[in-house]
This record gives sequence, structure tokens and C-alpha cells, in this order.
Amino acid sequence: MINIISKAQIKSVNQGVAITGMGIMSAIGNSVEETLSSLVNSKSGIEKIKYLETFHKDNFVVGEVKLSNDELIKLAGIGNYNRTTMLGYLAVKEALQEASIVDIKEARTGLISSTTVAGMCHTELLYKGFFEGKNNDNFFDYHLNGVSTNNIADIFGINEFVTTINTACSSAANAMMLGARLIKNNILDRVIVGGIDPLSKFTFNGFNTLMILDNEWCKPFDENRKGLNLGEGAAFLVLESDKCVKEKNKKILARLIGYGNANDAFHQTASSPEGYGAELAMKKALTVAQISPDRIDYLNAHGTGTPNNDASEGIAMQTVFNNKVPKFSSTKAFTGHTLAAAAAVEAVISILAIQNNMIFPCLNRSEQMKNLSITPVDKLEKNVELNYVMSNSFGFGGNCSSLIFAKG
Amino acid sequence: MLEIYINGMSCISNHNTIDENYFFGDESSILSSNQLAATEPKYSDYIPAIAIRRMSHIIKMGLSAGMMSLKSAGLEKVDAIITGTGMGCFEDTDKFLRALLDNDEKLLTPTSFIQSTHNTIGGQIALQIKCNGYNFTYVHQNVSFEYALLDAIMLLKDRDASNVLVGGVDEITPSVFELLSRGGHIKKTEDLQEPIWKSTTKGYILGEGAAFFNLSAETSPSTYAKIIGAKCIQSIVDSDDLINQLNNFLSEIGVGKDEISLVLSGNSGDVITDKNIVDFNNQLNLPIAYFKHLCGEYYTSSAFALWLAANILKRQTVPSVIFPNYSPLSNVDNILIVNHHENKQYSLMLVSVC
Repeated sequence: MINIISKAQIKSVNQGVAITGMGIMSAIGNSVEETLSSLVNSKSGIEKIKYLETFHKDNFVVGEVKLSNDELIKLAGIGNYNRTTMLGYLAVKEALQEASIVDIKEARTGLISSTTVAGMCHTELLYKGFFEGKNNDNFFDYHLNGVSTNNIADIFGINEFVTTINTACSSAANAMMLGARLIKNNILDRVIVGGIDPLSKFTFNGFNTLMILDNEWCKPFDENRKGLNLGEGAAFLVLESDKCVKEKNKKILARLIGYGNANDAFHQTASSPEGYGAELAMKKALTVAQISPDRIDYLNAHGTGTPNNDASEGIAMQTVFNNKVPKFSSTKAFTGHTLAAAAAVEAVISILAIQNNMIFPCLNRSEQMKNLSITPVDKLEKNVELNYVMSNSFGFGGNCSSLIFAKG
Repeated sequence: MLEIYINGMSCISNHNTIDENYFFGDESSILSSNQLAATEPKYSDYIPAIAIRRMSHIIKMGLSAGMMSLKSAGLEKVDAIITGTGMGCFEDTDKFLRALLDNDEKLLTPTSFIQSTHNTIGGQIALQIKCNGYNFTYVHQNVSFEYALLDAIMLLKDRDASNVLVGGVDEITPSVFELLSRGGHIKKTEDLQEPIWKSTTKGYILGEGAAFFNLSAETSPSTYAKIIGAKCIQSIVDSDDLINQLNNFLSEIGVGKDEISLVLSGNSGDVITDKNIVDFNNQLNLPIAYFKHLCGEYYTSSAFALWLAANILKRQTVPSVIFPNYSPLSNVDNILIVNHHENKQYSLMLVSVC
């Protein structure tokens, strides 16, 4: 069993690994700067469907990256890749720029990406025609999960440790966790970690058949929440060893000091009512960080806006924090649920919160959830010093992960 | 230094590898089909009957192989479950995709969607054995299993887990076969007359299967072998580059080339994409054995190779069907597994006798 170290026992907080760069493409911006501007202005990126070709186009709102595939190709300038690779490439490029990494080969550099449906947005356009003998396109070569990772690794010349994770909607949290462990074990000096998921008819219809989509703006942690809004995007962070940081005298944006991975082992898609997997993930992250729960200043919740998730996660938070739950919000009403990318998108948002002393609100709320005694932050809060921020991500298959970021 | 032991394992493949006593007999190295379907176990021995009905082929294979490995290790619980799969749950993906395309996104049911995600196998194992521990799924094509294995080794070395269940699983579906076949990846039936290591024709023989392992830093009465190291290589320039990579790997793990008793080589039978591995093998000057005529080519075939290597080490027997220039080896102490997929994503694993 996991024991949380009491305050008196704590000798020193785990220093974790340094985060020196981040990049993001999502419904609220095509860069970290644009993302911050949307967050500060409480401007959601969730709108009527514009780019995804679907029967449901007029009936739902989603968080699309506000660029067509042609516009993405032009912006990326790397040739003709699918949306998955282009979104990922642009986010990795921004992260590397911020981390001032020009020469990949000067240190052992890895790439850990994550995605749930990878090239599905491309596959679904050609699939039927292929099997009806109308086309012979080799889309399968671009379909599999590792492809966008390999493309990005090739473009930047990364070949040390290149891999892809799919633990559904917790994927990018696990990419970050693995990256931190590889640096701690001195297997890598630095590693680019994150996730990518473009919108596809496949995921849209999947979530729709599960009846967990809200066709209006989602309302995380509201009594009358109906479901989630899907989003798309990519976000990547650069993690570096202290040695790398010192050698180049780099600016540290924040530190990743805690991480926990657990399985709810309850149901393929639903979370247990008491949120046991979520509770374990949060407790493990606190144990790794070597901080007590009361040190957490803000929690960026998974908070999808589905009746099941928010109830289960809320109960787990009340358990972990012993009813002294820190300020919390879900930012999915800004970006939509970006699936595999969500934890990386929310890592960027958590770090922006730390850097700017702000808590970004839970949008669209009006009524307190009856089964919870806690209330999220629903107006932008400024001038709040955030030393430690926790971020949760949970997925199908019972996968639960939690991360803790500390001020740099 | 901490050592990593295989204390239990299981394998579902084209052959009767689900029988722990089976270890190949007089099988032919010439195949009659270009796809090698798995010989399935009696799933109800490992999965509650009510759950089996909804499960696709890959989930049944993965979950039952996981349960078989636990049984072989004499365990009911583990601290972590790590799965590798190159293609994930393709049967469910295909089913949901066709339904939505054929019905213009109307009248869909969620079952195949919720089981389509790659982590379903790891999630189902966790659910069945009520394992709340670390749970990860690697989906990096041909090195998905190797990355799962590297993660397991790191968990054990960091003492974050005492017992880890790690495995690789992939499935053949009619759609996958057609996609790969029309893409020119699969060997034509008329080109099957030669063994894969003497192939003069293009294409590989498609395979499927599941192999799981119980790993620990402690030995047990059921220990098969120990894993000395594993390495994934994104791409190689040529066979000399692969030799250099091998030399670096061997020096990292402190094993001399002359200590390798046998090489298990992942030749797929495609004359073009096997060129570098053939040249590499020729430069090694070591006994070379092959495995893809037994399991076929698939993204997690290296899990089959690891199962084969651990069995050889424990039994001290090299089945003649994998060893073309068969000559009895006095002692099999160290086995090197070299794998690749279409000249991409190479991997090296070294396994030793206990």
C-alpha cells in the first residue's frame, strides 16, 4: 500500500527533472503565447464543427485547431504529412526552440510521443474506397501509432530512445512520467515528451455512441453537466537533466517532481464510484514528489464534464486531500478533451499557471455538484502564488495518471 | 548488479506452444501458407465465459496469455502490467470503422469502439486479476514489446515493483491481411518453396500471437532464464552500422561476442528488406537460428523469440526446425535475439542461462 509521507517526515522535496521548453497546438492557440492569451481572456476554443467532415457537423461543438490540413501543411513547411504528424511537429518545434536546442546530437535526446488513434483522420477517408477496390492508397503505412513519432524523430534527427505510448486519455501523462524516469536513471540527458490526437470521425462517433458528448459547451464539475466536448491538438515538453541545464545555463520553466500511474481495475470505460485508481495515482505522485497533500496549491483536474468522471474524480480528490482539497479547475471547457494529448496540453496550462501566478477557471458552471463538498475555481484568479500544481489524467482501460509540477 | 529473471512465461503462436511440454518436433521449414494463424487455447480455461463473448481475438489471446504466464510463475498478482502491441485491437477498430462508414455515422453501438483502444488488453488483465498497479501500453510498431521490456527492467531495477507481467500481442484480421497484401508486403503463395533464410523472393509470411513473461529481480523454482539487456534501434545505415550497434550493446552489458552461443535472427523471408540482417549474420561468425517461419512476421514477434530463447536456455535443446546447419551445441549459455521489420526498427536482446 502507498503511504503518504507526513509533513514531519519530509527531509527534502524531490527535485525531479527540469522542464525547459514547451510547445502546443490546440483549439485555443497555435503557440504557448496564444494559449496564454486565450486562458487569460477566458476565451474558449470550442465552436461549431468547421474542419471535420461528419454527419453530425451542425449538431455539436468541438475544440478544433483552427487550421485546415492545407493551412497546416503550409505552416509546417515540411512536406505532405497527415494532420497527426503536422500538429506534433509544430508543437515539438516550438518546444525545442524555447529550450534553445539546436543540435540534437550534442546530448542523449529521446522522443516519447503518445496518441490514441494516430492516423485515423486520414485512414477513415480512404478505408471504404480501398476495400471496395476504388483506391489502392497505402494509407496503412501512415495509420499506425508509431508513424507520427517516427516522422517527427526523423525530421529532428532523434534516434536515441524513440517510442509511443497509448494508455487512452492518460497517454501523455505516461509519456512525461517515462521521460522523467529515463533522465533519473541516466539513460537520457533530455527527452521530448507529449502527445498528439487529431479529431476523427472514428473518435467522434465512438464517444457519441457512448452518449458522453455534450452537444453544447461542456460544464465540468457542474451539477447539470451532460458530457464532454472533444478537442484535438498536440503538446510537447522538453525535460532535461540538471547537468544539461547547468552546462547551458538554461532557464527552467518548472520542474516535474511527481508522477503516479495506477489502474482503477473497475470497468473498461467507466471510473469506479469512489475513484480508487485516481486516488492511487494522486497518492503515488505525492509519494514520488515527497510532499504532503497540503503543499499542492492548485489541481488541474481531468474534469471531462461527464457525469461519471467528475463525480468519481471529485470523490477521489476529497479522499486524497482529506477534505482540504486545494483550489482546482478543469480547463477542458477551453480546449475540449484532446484525448492522448490532454495531459500534455494541461501540463502546458499548469506551467503557465505557475509562471503567471494565475488559476484558469472552470468555464460554463452554474450549479454546485450535489455529491461533492468541493467547488472549482470558476473565475480567473490572479496574483496567486503557485509552488506546486497537480494535474490528473484518466482513460479507458482503467488507466489513471497524476503529475506534480513545481515552480522552476 | 541486479539481474532480471523470467520466472514464468506463455506463448500463443501458430504452433502448439500453449502446451508447456511442447517444444517442436519434426515441423517443416517450408510453409504452405502465407499467413500463420495462432493455435488458440481453450479460452474458457482463462477467461470467465460471460466476458469471452464480447472479446475480440487479440483481447482473448492477450488476456489468456497473461493468465497463462501468471500460472506458469505460480502467481496470482503482480505489481505492474506492461503490454506492447504494434497494431492494437484492429478487429474492433475495423468493425467500428466499417459500421460508421457503411451507415453514414448512424445507428452505431459502442462495444467495438470501447474495445478498440490499444490499452484494452493491459486494462482487461488488470481488471481480471484486480491489479491496481502500474499499467502501461507501448505502441511503437516493431519495437513495442522491447520498449515494454525495457520499462519492466527499469521498474525492477528502481525497486518500484517486485513482479512485473510484460507481454507482446498482435493479431491477423482479414482486413489487415488484405491491406498488407495489396500493399505488396506479403509473400505470394507460389513463392513459399524456400525456407525464409534462403529466400530469393519478396514479401513476408504474416503472423500473429501473444507471449507474456513474469519478470522479477529474484529467482524462483520456475525460473527459465535471465534477461541481460535489450536495445531498440530506430534505423540503421547498413549491416556495418548494425555490427557497431551490437558491439556498443555488448560492451554496455559486459558480454563478449564470443560468449554468445546462438543467435536468433528475425529474417522475415523478404529478400530485399532482409539484406542487412543477412549481411550482419554473415559477419558474426556465430551459430544462427531463425524463428519467423514458426510465428510469422508481426510487430511483436520478438516476444515469441524471447519465449523461444528462454525455453532453449532452460531445456538446453535447440529445435532442429529453427537451426538450418544443425550441429549439437555443447552448452547454450547466451542467446542474442536480433529483430527488424522491413529493415526498420531493429532490436537486440540478450538472454542467459540461469
